[in-house]
This record gives sequence, structure tokens and C-alpha cells, in this order.
Amino acid sequence: MIEVRAIEKVYRGGGGLLSQRAVKALRGVSLTLKDGEAISLIGESGCGKTTLGRIIAGLETYSQGELVFDGTPLSQVPPGDRPQWFHRVQLVQQDPYGALNPARTLGNALVDPLKLQAKHLGKDATWTRERARELLNLVGLDPEATLYKYPHNLSGGQRQRFVVARALTVDPKVLVADEAVSMIDVSLRLGILSLLSDLRVRLGISVIFITHDVAAARYVARDGVICVIYRGEIVEYGRTDDIIRSPVHPYTQALLSAMPVLRGLEKPGPDRFIPSQDLDTQAQDEAGCLFRSRCRFATERCGREHPNLVALDGGERLHACFYPQARDVVPVPVG
Amino acid sequence: MGSVAVEPAQASALDRDVACRVRGLTVTYKVDNRELSALRDVDLDIRQGQITAVIGESGSGKSTLALALMNAVSKPGRIAAGKVTYRDLGEVTAMDSERLRRARGRSLSMVFQASQNSLNPLTRVGAQLLDLARSHDMRDPRAVLREAAALAERMSLDADRVLTSYQHQLSGGMRQRVGIIFGLVLKPQVLLLDEPTTALDVLSQSSVLEIVRSIQRERQLTTVLITHDMGVVAELADRVVVLYAGRVVEEAPTTELIRHPRHPYTRALIQAIPRLTGDPSLARPLEGQPPSLAAIPTTGCVFRGRCPHRMEVCETSTPGISQVSDTDHRYACHWEGAAND
Repeated sequence: MIEVRAIEKVYRGGGGLLSQRAVKALRGVSLTLKDGEAISLIGESGCGKTTLGRIIAGLETYSQGELVFDGTPLSQVPPGDRPQWFHRVQLVQQDPYGALNPARTLGNALVDPLKLQAKHLGKDATWTRERARELLNLVGLDPEATLYKYPHNLSGGQRQRFVVARALTVDPKVLVADEAVSMIDVSLRLGILSLLSDLRVRLGISVIFITHDVAAARYVARDGVICVIYRGEIVEYGRTDDIIRSPVHPYTQALLSAMPVLRGLEKPGPDRFIPSQDLDTQAQDEAGCLFRSRCRFATERCGREHPNLVALDGGERLHACFYPQARDVVPVPVG
Repeated sequence: MGSVAVEPAQASALDRDVACRVRGLTVTYKVDNRELSALRDVDLDIRQGQITAVIGESGSGKSTLALALMNAVSKPGRIAAGKVTYRDLGEVTAMDSERLRRARGRSLSMVFQASQNSLNPLTRVGAQLLDLARSHDMRDPRAVLREAAALAERMSLDADRVLTSYQHQLSGGMRQRVGIIFGLVLKPQVLLLDEPTTALDVLSQSSVLEIVRSIQRERQLTTVLITHDMGVVAELADRVVVLYAGRVVEEAPTTELIRHPRHPYTRALIQAIPRLTGDPSLARPLEGQPPSLAAIPTTGCVFRGRCPHRMEVCETSTPGISQVSDTDHRYACHWEGAAND
């Protein structure tokens, strides 16, 4: 089980020595991910979702808060043991082209981490070879046709499958998939998404799926939760079905409204609206609701007070809006 | 609904509603002394004042088609056969390079995928607009800047800021909008959009789509949209052409195609879209990979390797065009089931 406790991340930059501007990428995010659970983090570019994924995978430090894995806080782990500690979390990145060394065969790329693992577990070379084949089969690649090839011989979808296989070499308990399908043709995306769901069920690993595509988020976390992030804050959180069916935060509603409607099979939801203004990452005002300048429902109170994350009707659903109201923005199927 | 086989339409004087006619277009790339066809025998009518989408996977030839529409296929590729004829310009496949240069940008304009890669990183956006104006001998280059500023305001961009910026100072969504400004500023008759939203997140995508939609309506601009995303097609296009391995396999009005796809490839494509409604487990991944250029079958149906309805005839004979009766919905498939919804 992973717990993210009030994590903050501040990037220092810009300006001179004395007038350093701080950019808050995460402003106190808390989350719990149980073993075998799926969670989708959604939000637009620059909202902090990637930073959160990288912090959980141990690739980024945090400024405040605590990361707790199976009850042990990271701060109590000696720095020398941290690499081992983070083996349990593996990151699958957006770009399967950049993630592989073009000059090495796929077999080598897969066998090297397996050799370390074999040493760790006290296994021999036969185990390494068999395990490589087993992992490739698991992600839907033909071992014989893959092991002796180079990355450029594979298509984008196959490469992403391979990257997943490589992440599995160290028997992780958590896979963090950061925009893992956005560079792949739409026609092949579903194959990768269903691979992530299958692995979760078959291997009992948890999946953190990071995306801006709410339909993909729903597919991967269909029996899990969705967490909506805006400018480094969680603004809505809940079971996937609840978030999709009755979003209460205007930002969630904007993300859902922006999804294309498959005219012919669907018609737009009655409350659908198109948010026009861009995310202004330069905006630094901290008072009030961070979303208010883009929110069509903002009032004077939203400029004065900051809405905190609170439970909706006392349940496990959370939202950060003074005026939570469910709206029908999701497309409606036609007859 | 029944189907009838039809003869391929004859190339003739263009009808009033056709802005561009493509007949028998074959584009080949020379690889290791072999001529491989990226597009084969493509027939297409692009309607005046409408948005026509060309949808296909990576390697389907959709970007090659966009280049061929401007006669801009470069070596090792060439247009091996066929004609591309515009109503206002005539046959671009027969033009010399100077006439082509004048036509491109002025009459036919293209917005590329990932505009950040097509803007010059070393000069400001405004200076690049002036270059564009000069290269097309505009008498008053400043008028182009004024037009660009007006377009920027339309797209809810701060015109002064955008025109004085370098490309790295703009976000992805802003750069894509700047790309569209470049495409529109000389008031072309035909606009080609190659994957206009692929690098953008959903919110930027929806605002770019909204901009394209409203400007197209206002100017009655003939638009060709190249994409791999059926969602983008559904949001924008009036008609869709489905391209697979360099061949047109289906063509229909958008809602008709999405509601009643005929070709097994189109059916699978629509089933593979993760949706916000309905049972998510009903979505089915599209199996297999599209063939590489060298592996595209030269006889028979190009989709047979991934087709669940594959028959013997698919190996030997290229399927002809069938038309759903009384509609302009056409598809190329041997399977009888394709005639039914």
C-alpha cells in the first residue's frame, strides 16, 4: 500500500538570486493506493500529475510531506537502501521511442535487469532466459520474433508493450503509466490499456494511470478511482463511475465536456460546455480558488476564500468547490 | 439496405460542389531499388466548403496523401500515376515548380502536425509572417500582420504577445493556433490540416477544434483533415474517407459512417475507441499491426491479414467499390455481411 501524505513540490527558478520565483507543482496532495487497486490521475498539461507520478516512482524529490510504502515512511529509509525501496514502483513513460537504447538488441535490454534480479534471488542463467520469454508472452509479444531485434524494428504499440515487459523484470508492486498511450495510434491504444488492466488482475499489482484523456482513465480504472488534479491540487476524487456520471467540480466537468462526442452513436450531454481559456501557469495569485478565472460558475466568495478538499455528503467522494453541483456533461448514447 | 457495384466515376469537368478531384492516384517510394506504393489507385472527391476527413493508422499513407494533394511528395517518393485537379487552380500534378510555389500557401495551405517543429526557432512569429507575405509578393505585407492579429484575437490569444514571441515562449496549444494562423492568413481556398491536435491535451484540443469549426463555417473553407482519431473526425468532419495500407476502403458522411460502418476495418476501428458511456468491457482492441510498406499485398484485399471475415477470394482479387443504395456511402469489401449494419 502506498500513501502520499500532503506532498508539496516547489521548483525554484526564474529571476535573480534575490527575487527567485517559486513554482508550486504540487500543493499538498494526499492519496492512498491499496495493493492491486487502479487509480487514474487526470488533468491537463502542467497540472502536476507527471510530477506526482515521478515522486511516487522515486525519480523526483519532494519539498514537504511524506511518502509511505507499506507503513514505512521514506524519511526513515537510509539513503543507501532507497533504490531497492523504489524497485517496487516502476514507471512506464509516454515516449516508447526515447525509452529504449537504439543500439542494443531488445534481448539485451530485457536480460540485463533480469540478471541483477537473478543474482538477487539466487537463480541461474536458464531462469533468466525463461523469465525473458515469459515476460514477453505476458505483454503479448512473440519472444522469438522480438529478442534479437532492435527497437526500430518494432511499431509504437509493440515498443510500449516491450517497455511494460521491462518494467516487470523487477517484480514491481506498482506500475506508474504516464501518458503511456498518447503517442500511439488510437486504434492500438485500447490494446495497451487492456494489457495494463490484465496485468493488474493477473499479477495483483497496482496501477497509477496518468492521462488527460478521461475515457482512457475510465477504461483502466473502471473498478477503481479517479483523481482530478488542477494546478497541483486535488480538486475532485471518487469512484470512477461516480466521477464520470455525476462530476461536481467545474474543472472535472470541463475535462469531460472536452471529450469528443461520437456523433451518430452519441449526442452531447445537456450541460456540456466548452472551456475557452488556457491554463495560465504564470498566474501566481494564491488567495481564493485557483480555478476561478476559468470557471463559469465562480462567485465573489471564490476570489476571497480557498476551497479545501471536503467530503461530498459525508461519503468517500471528495471535492474542492464551494458550489458542488452534478452536471450532465457526458455524451448520451442515441437509440 | 442492399448494395450495388458501381463503376469508378469518370474524370470529367468538376461538378459545382467538388473543390478537388483525385483520380487513380498512386504514390511510390523507392526503397532498395524497389518501387513500393504508399498510395494505390486512390479516387476521391473533396467537396467545396466542407470538411473532409482522411482517417488512417500510422503508415496508412494519409500524410503522403496530404503531400500529394499539394504535389509536394519529395524523393525518394514520386507520384507514379493519377491526377489531382482543383476547381480553381487546375491540375496541380501537371504544374511546374514556380506555379506550385505560388499556389502553396496562397491557394492551398497546410497546417502541419506539431507546429512547434515547423516554426523557425530563431525569429519572432511576426517576422515569419512578413517573410510569408513577401514570398507571395503581397503588396502590403503589413496587411498580413493585421489579418494575423485579427485571427489571433479570434482564437483568444493576445495578438501583441504572440506576434512578438519566439516559438519556445508559446505553449503547445498556442503554437498549434499560430500554425493555423499561418495556414489562414493568406486566405487560401483549400486548407489541409495534418493531425492538428495530436500533440495537445483534451482542453487545448477542444478549443483548437472549435476554432477550426467556426472559421470554416464563416469562410466556407474547403478543409481536408488528416487524422488517426475518430473522435476528432466526429467533432469536425462532414465526410470521412477511411484509408488502409494506401487504399480507400470506405467513404461516407460522418454520422452515417460512425453509426453504420460497413468495412470490417472501420467496424473494428470504431469498436476500439474507449468511451465515456456504456460498458467499458465492450470495447475491443484492434488486433494485429498494419502492414509495413514492403509487406502491403499487391493483389487481393490489403486488410485481409487482420480481417475476421477473411475468405479465399480476398487473397486473389482486389475488392471493387460497392455503394449502399441511394446514399453516398461506399466501401470496398468482398464479405457479404458488409452490406448489413
